[in-house]
Amino acid sequence: MIPNNLVIGTGLLIFLIGLIGMLIRKNLIIILMAAELMLNGVNIILAGFGLFHRTASGSIFALFVIMIAVAEAAVGFALILSYFRHKETYNLDEINDLKG
Amino acid sequence: MAMMIFIFFAVLSVITAVLIITQKNPMHSVLYLAFSVLSVSGLFFTLQADFLGAIQIIVYAGGIVVLYVFVIIIINLNQLVPEKRKLFPRFFITAVPLVLIIEIFYVFYKKIKTGSDISIVAESMKIENLSKMLLTDYVIPFEVASVLLLAVLIGSLVIARKELKNDTK
Repeated sequence: MIPNNLVIGTGLLIFLIGLIGMLIRKNLIIILMAAELMLNGVNIILAGFGLFHRTASGSIFALFVIMIAVAEAAVGFALILSYFRHKETYNLDEINDLKG
Repeated sequence: MAMMIFIFFAVLSVITAVLIITQKNPMHSVLYLAFSVLSVSGLFFTLQADFLGAIQIIVYAGGIVVLYVFVIIIINLNQLVPEKRKLFPRFFITAVPLVLIIEIFYVFYKKIKTGSDISIVAESMKIENLSKMLLTDYVIPFEVASVLLLAVLIGSLVIARKELKNDTK
């Protein structure tokens, strides 16, 4: 027997840690990792609701979330690599121009 | 018993999540990310989402973490990013999580009588049913997802491509 508030609280806690990491860090790679953490927290809540309602829909939605996370990581890394080629930094404060 | 296992994996994943965002070296954070992802997959197995746990291990621990490691190796930057901020952004980044912390305490201390009994494996949560639902009810999102992945493949190749000097435009 797993109480629902425990599942939701764990998911929210991991989401919150990801949000804090995204706000306080300035390293681009760690910010991407914090985004992965946020998506993981959402997945925990989705799996918990799927168990609570006895349906596979929770797993399916979490599957789509994982896929979006993969897409986001791939595009984010492509952007980081192409930006890094002409500006040798991954400090977020120095990344302030869009022109290539 | 199941609750104990759940709490074990939950504590593990929260601790490693905190360690991810506090490391100075990004490579250390990547290792903690692998740890955190594996403990989250343990949470999924406890919540009877077996397929999700397996996908988590295969895609995250096998794919994304390795991608992070490769990108850090390619970038190969030894400088440490300074983390100083001005007063107003610091106020903002403390105010936003505080609201969510209050919400988490509310969720934890609110007495919810219902719980998920995981001693019985529900018929509707088995993998056969999941695959059937994925190809009947959710077939349109499934197909859109495949188009999105193709777009991401092409788009990230085009963005990250090295532009040569004698490239015929």
